[in-house]
Amino acid sequence: MTTHKPLPYGDPAHQAAHQFLVEEAALLDAADYPGWLDLLTEDIRYLMPVRVTTARGAGFSTQPGMGHFDEDMYALRKRVQRLATDHAWTEDPPSRTRHFVTNVRTFRHDDGLKVESALLLFRSRGDTRDADLLSAGRTDLLRETTTGLKLARREITADEAVIRTQNLAVFL
Amino acid sequence: MIDVAAVVSQVRRGMIPAHVYGDPEIFALERDRLFARSWVYLAHESEIPDPGDYVVRRVLNDSFIVVRDEAGTVRVMFNMCLHRGMQVCRAEMGNASHFRCPYHAWTYRNDGRLVGLPFHEDAYGGEDGFARQGQRLLPAPATGNYRGLIFASLDPAAPKLSDYLGDFAFYLDFYVNQSPAGIQLSGPQRWRVKANWKIGAENFAGDSYHTPHTHASVVEIGLFREPKASKRKEGALYQAGPGAGTTYKLPPGGDFASQLRYVGYPDAMIPAMAKTWSDQQRALVAESGFMVSAATLFPNLSLVHNWPQIDENGTVRPFISLRQWQPISATETEVLSWFAVDAAAPEEFKKASYKAYLMCFGISGMFEQDDVENWVSITDMATGSMARRLNLNSRMGLAPDGKPLKPPIANFAGPGVAYQGFGEYGQRHWLSQWSDHLEQEPAAHQATDLGVAR
Repeated sequence: MTTHKPLPYGDPAHQAAHQFLVEEAALLDAADYPGWLDLLTEDIRYLMPVRVTTARGAGFSTQPGMGHFDEDMYALRKRVQRLATDHAWTEDPPSRTRHFVTNVRTFRHDDGLKVESALLLFRSRGDTRDADLLSAGRTDLLRETTTGLKLARREITADEAVIRTQNLAVFL
Repeated sequence: MIDVAAVVSQVRRGMIPAHVYGDPEIFALERDRLFARSWVYLAHESEIPDPGDYVVRRVLNDSFIVVRDEAGTVRVMFNMCLHRGMQVCRAEMGNASHFRCPYHAWTYRNDGRLVGLPFHEDAYGGEDGFARQGQRLLPAPATGNYRGLIFASLDPAAPKLSDYLGDFAFYLDFYVNQSPAGIQLSGPQRWRVKANWKIGAENFAGDSYHTPHTHASVVEIGLFREPKASKRKEGALYQAGPGAGTTYKLPPGGDFASQLRYVGYPDAMIPAMAKTWSDQQRALVAESGFMVSAATLFPNLSLVHNWPQIDENGTVRPFISLRQWQPISATETEVLSWFAVDAAAPEEFKKASYKAYLMCFGISGMFEQDDVENWVSITDMATGSMARRLNLNSRMGLAPDGKPLKPPIANFAGPGVAYQGFGEYGQRHWLSQWSDHLEQEPAAHQATDLGVAR
């Protein structure tokens, strides 16, 4: 159960959630992926459905049964391990990224805090290519653990049906 | 003006003028001479299972509605209103009994028939002024269906699809015909890459040589162990009909069932494959000992079948992906990548196979990530003046006299011709078809007059 009203901005739970997202963005922009993995629970679900263009009355706007990401901890660890090898060519030289996180709303949830945010990811590669911008909404579940808040679930809602970046070798 | 004959003659001797990977003039020729003629993949029947289900897909710039009508017939219709040329369908998928143009409300049944024309009598003088009877959205000039794969050609004189597929159908079946139920598709993921469309098509047609290096990271982390160079060069590279592909050599001494188990198929799926595939197809796996991996059906449909490790326990599961290199311009491609799985497979296998797919291919796939980096980089280099002074060597596997360095594999169970070891046989096979198209003058087509009184 989620309560329908977001917590007031002054609520310590909201402030903690907001700070979590900002600190997480800093880790991602620094490409500190092992540090990022430490923010996730062992049972993490990390999802990014494929958005599709459908008629207003269709009742759906995601591709059934298909995501850009649909990850558990094993899959995310493999991705992070790969980026740490000397042969992950797509990120060598690395992208310059900036995760802009805004519009944060926090809701109380039976299993912790449900946090909605808007994300704008700027990604620049090389010195001749145009930079990419990815806009997405995120719905997260943050759980209180003995080592602080951790991300237990993230669903990323891309705002494009056709993604304009060469790959998702980056996390959103 | 580009000298097509000069470009083609270089390509035919295995030397590729580098600018073809970023040249707008070449792209225009591909549009007029290749995509205006060739069979192009659009969709799979499993994407539109019920009456009224549709997806919208393109052949280069031409948008088509691929729809199952009320009678269950699959139709491929040009997505342009017969009146003022508006897109009739502006969603990319859904279910509809009719398509109504938002501009003036001309309305078409989902079999394409024009059934609604407001003020027909007042505005046109009825049937005498505009013959509504028998009018329908323009059908694709030619359509074909192979095991649920729906293709279109813009050439009304295209050969029959089955004749076109020819010997490649033998290999296609390993991906799309593992049981009588056929495959079901999920997706596609769609994304745009700043790469020429040919590079991916060629790569899947036969580039086993890139795997050990480009995909070294995937081996290092233990996700997929097969691409090691020592292993990869044992695979067969085959060319058959309009297609070509790569395989992996299976462990020695295995029988049909043990080889399928080796790549991660559960026992529940093996009897159906044994029954559905021909003696020759089974022999490719059992006696010849090869398992299909990447392939391209000319011009722009590729397939892949790999078997990564999907969990901490070392479970290996195979996955299949269909992918299309949809050209946007000389320097940009939209990739459409589907996950495919035997429709009769156990649900648990489908889930595991989907996970295997997502880790390896598609926009986030750990193989695909590094492939696209290469392709974008090639395209970036191909647009300048210097690229017009460099012919890229595509002669791997050929002696100076143009003969293969090694003879084809003897007693290879599949049709066409196959070689073992590294070589750009598949890429040259693809480029030879590309050259055939570019050498032909574009066909002249008659325009259709709509609604002129009879």
